[in-house]
Amino acid sequence: MKDLAIVMKEVGRERKDIFLSILFGFTAGITAVGLFASSGYLISKAALVPPLYALTVMIALLKFFGLARAVSRYGERLSSHRATFSILSNLRVNFFEKLEPLAPGIYQKYRSGDLLSRIVGDVESLQNFFLRVYYPPIVLLIVFLSTIVFTMFFSVYIALVLIVGLILTALVVPAFFAYSQRKIDSRVRQQRGELSTEVTELLYGFRELKLYQRLDEKEEMLKASSQKYVHEQEREGIQLMFNQSVNTAISLMISWVVLALGAFLVAEGQLDGLFLAMLVMISLTVFENATPMAALPGNLEESRTASKRLYSVVKEKPETALEPIVTLPESQALSIRFDELSYQFEGEDQQALNKVSLYLPEGSKTAIVGPSGSGKSTVLMLMLKVLHANQGGLQINGQSIKHVNDEDIWSKSNVVLQDNHFFYGTLRENLELAGTGFTDEAYKNALHQVELSHFDLESEVLEHGENLSGGEKQRLAIARAMLKGKRLWILDEPTSSIDALTEQDLYERLFAKAENDTLVLVSHRLTGLEKMDQIIVMEKGEVVEAGSFNELMAKQGYFYQMKQIEKSVFG
Amino acid sequence: MNVLNPYLKQYKGTQIFLIFTAILTGLSIIAQAYLIVLAVDRVFLQGQPFEAIVPLLGWLAAALLLRAALTYASGRAGVRMAAKVKQEFRRRLLDKFSKNPVQASLQGQSGQKVSVMLDAVDEIDSYFSRYIPQVIQTSIIPLMILIVAFSQHLYTGLLMIITAPFIPLFFIIIGIKTQKKSEEQMDKMAAFSGRFLDTLQGLTTLKLFGRSAIQKDAIRESSYGFRDATMDVLKVAFISSLILEYISMLSIGLIALELGLRLVVFESVTFFTAFFLLVLAPEFYLAIKELGSAFHTGRGSMGAAKKITDELEKQDQPVVWGDKQLEGLNPPVINLNEAGFKYGESGFELTGISAEIKPYMKVAVTGRSGSGKSTLLHLLAGLVAPTKGGIEINSHPLSSFSEKAWFDEVSYISQKPYVFSGTIAENIAIGGNKNATRNDIMNAAQKAGISEMVSSLPKGFDTSVGEGGRGLSGGEKQRLAIARAFLKNPSVILFDEPTTGLDLKTEQILQASIKELSKQSTVITVAHRLHTIQDADLILFLENGELKGAGTHSELMEKAPDYRNMVSVQQGGDRE
Repeated sequence: MKDLAIVMKEVGRERKDIFLSILFGFTAGITAVGLFASSGYLISKAALVPPLYALTVMIALLKFFGLARAVSRYGERLSSHRATFSILSNLRVNFFEKLEPLAPGIYQKYRSGDLLSRIVGDVESLQNFFLRVYYPPIVLLIVFLSTIVFTMFFSVYIALVLIVGLILTALVVPAFFAYSQRKIDSRVRQQRGELSTEVTELLYGFRELKLYQRLDEKEEMLKASSQKYVHEQEREGIQLMFNQSVNTAISLMISWVVLALGAFLVAEGQLDGLFLAMLVMISLTVFENATPMAALPGNLEESRTASKRLYSVVKEKPETALEPIVTLPESQALSIRFDELSYQFEGEDQQALNKVSLYLPEGSKTAIVGPSGSGKSTVLMLMLKVLHANQGGLQINGQSIKHVNDEDIWSKSNVVLQDNHFFYGTLRENLELAGTGFTDEAYKNALHQVELSHFDLESEVLEHGENLSGGEKQRLAIARAMLKGKRLWILDEPTSSIDALTEQDLYERLFAKAENDTLVLVSHRLTGLEKMDQIIVMEKGEVVEAGSFNELMAKQGYFYQMKQIEKSVFG
Repeated sequence: MNVLNPYLKQYKGTQIFLIFTAILTGLSIIAQAYLIVLAVDRVFLQGQPFEAIVPLLGWLAAALLLRAALTYASGRAGVRMAAKVKQEFRRRLLDKFSKNPVQASLQGQSGQKVSVMLDAVDEIDSYFSRYIPQVIQTSIIPLMILIVAFSQHLYTGLLMIITAPFIPLFFIIIGIKTQKKSEEQMDKMAAFSGRFLDTLQGLTTLKLFGRSAIQKDAIRESSYGFRDATMDVLKVAFISSLILEYISMLSIGLIALELGLRLVVFESVTFFTAFFLLVLAPEFYLAIKELGSAFHTGRGSMGAAKKITDELEKQDQPVVWGDKQLEGLNPPVINLNEAGFKYGESGFELTGISAEIKPYMKVAVTGRSGSGKSTLLHLLAGLVAPTKGGIEINSHPLSSFSEKAWFDEVSYISQKPYVFSGTIAENIAIGGNKNATRNDIMNAAQKAGISEMVSSLPKGFDTSVGEGGRGLSGGEKQRLAIARAFLKNPSVILFDEPTTGLDLKTEQILQASIKELSKQSTVITVAHRLHTIQDADLILFLENGELKGAGTHSELMEKAPDYRNMVSVQQGGDRE
């Protein structure tokens, strides 16, 4: 519920639209009651003493209430939807404010590709919170109270009946069904998950299933799981129908009681018969507002789950640097030292890094190589203080990394990741990430350096750089890093999609630019490493070998064998 | 709405039931109005005592409860019908997918197929659970009310008949007028709605460049952009319901006016008739208006239905099997006679592959990426049937053997072996016959060099892997696949050799294991390593779907210039 309070606060910001939604919602509800009440009253009046003015008034009132109701309904829908979308905007910004200090560490930690789309989906599903949970009960309450007060002028008993009806249809019945609905919902979700697994396995594992003759078995499992899922959905649908029907039955029976009681009072002479039709019409109309209440528990539950999941992601405190905070020098190459450093990803039972020690002197060039999953990228993420070591020491420029602000490291390094992000906009805007103070010449020169001079600075870049090839994206990322021009280079497989020849040229320029800087390169290819000061070979989170190219080749160890395999592999 | 109608025909019973409940609902609506009006009339105008209306109240209670019960019954019937249709669609899709999905998964469409099977089928629901019941109700209830109106007062009936068509008419006119504008807005909405995800995904890059703070405003801006575009679309929808509401209000007003005139001025109708009709009129227009909203839900389902039927109507390229058994203990002789395969109408084509693969041969299939190596492997595995030429096993067509007889003899080790959700033991056992003992499994794991890793896990062979379980590295998956092959002990092994990224140990295990397996089997490898090719008894060199050379390494070096070229480029690449 605490998470829902955050949502509630963001909802509260849209005061004007909330007010308008409630106001129009109220007028729409009350004019409907007025419309039917007046028609009931006037037709009775007309039946008794039929003067002509009764007719004129009746038609005028009918028209007035009818138009007012339609317009109010329009206004209500408009303002409530506008409020909803503004609220979504607030929620996104609010969530982003919470997530931003935790990124990018939190992305590494979850390691799950669907985290982000889940976040987006959860924010979206909160749109029902205002629209179906927050303001309709308020409107319902005001409409009912006004109606009840009005009814009291004619008969206290009938007003009491309406109060009982309100409590039953808006409170007791929804609350009663909320519990059972919750259980069914979670079962539906669970069955959907199971079916999704079965379908994925059948399609992605098809070849294996077919060859190992397990396809029929799998098909049966899938059918059964689909059957179960559909069955749970069916139960959910029928339960919902049942809830709504019970609510309708109750509100119809309340109108029945109003009629019976009213008729009794009229017969006893305690109520003027003139008002009987009006009271029955009021009762029939006012309960129409209560019907959506049956669906409220479901929406509330959905909002609760979404907000809980959403804010659980950003629950933790951002890691802050310890006092005294050390600022890294601006114009000096940095050194990095790992001292028996270990790291373990949450929820995994193996160490991603196990007691890794390495030293990168200032101005040195280091390559890290090894099979996929050996922990190369994790080493870089620790250097960047994106991940925080569980054990061991990490020094940057002779200072413990704990005393250095992560943003300080980032601002003083040129980073190229495996997956570099490009935003919707122009090429220039994407290069401007490296800094806005450059001349056009500087940007063009950077493009020239990575052999992209045929690109225009104003060319459009689509979301995720969809219109660029993998190699072009990598070259742009390198251009960005070159523009930034800091003294620490951290490069994670920067050229994996670039052909060998271009790669060679790029490296030549890169190394010329980084001549006096510290550089660390994770490489999937073992070619062109002769110039590196040191090559670190990793496997299963451990450093198995380190040394210069010639040293490692002479040693005929792990690196040498990797090199032999690479030699014999066809692309 | 044509695509789904054929399916509707199977549910005649449900439809009759829905018609029946609609008629009863109509009756209960009329009865409700009639009884209320009668009761009011008796106590109010005729001044009868309360006891006189007690039976009426009894009937009224019955009518009201019946109405609620009918709502439930009709809703339930709709939900049930939807459930059956969904199950039927899933079953058909499953049949379709399991007949022919090897090509499909090669075309990289598995993700899309998962979504059709899950989401698209679910989206069909509202067509059957809401739209159909509403259509039936709308075509019956207003008609019944109309009949009552005519029987009570001719002019009210006429007014209803004249005004009712305006509701669907305006609905259609507004729909046509606004469709184009909505579509324009949809594009905008789609563009804005992706922006938040885009920013979240780019946050790492932004942070590293110290540029994340400004994104807050960008998120707000795009959210507002999305809001405004959406509101433009919604406004249209709201205005259309506003107009529909006006029309029905106006019509009710007209009816009231006419009734009022008769009641007050001409005194030609009774209070009872006037009140009765005035209660019925809103019900009449409500039923027609509701069709509009149901229509929207129904249209949503149509898109999904299209996706499903497109999938169901795709052409099959099924594999045909016979009932012949494989005889003899030795691996079979495999003959490719001008065999070829083509994906769909205009897809990639593999043509004219001829070769004789003798028992215990080591065959290497090589060529550039996209040359058709994997397709050839699939042909040999019997996962796709040749569209040209043929494959013979021991001089009989492959298609004359039973599926089981052939698959029992084949193992396939792919580059990315699939790990099923289950334990490690179960994942190895999928390779062998169903009654493999724990010992057999452990032996196979031992030979594949994975048992050491497995025993280091707290739960050993019972560790769950795959979806929701422990992730396996590329090397571990390869070894798992090898273990499957050891357990199965087949006579033909098809092996798609990994490119790079494996650790040295896995590399060594792969070599040793394949050597071991080749003692009992014919091994056909899509080769990426020079020594595999050099060791092969027969190399099939492919280019652009054609066989450009067959023979040993030295033979091909001599007579196939493209092959020589490929090998020398590879070795030249090293000299950098």
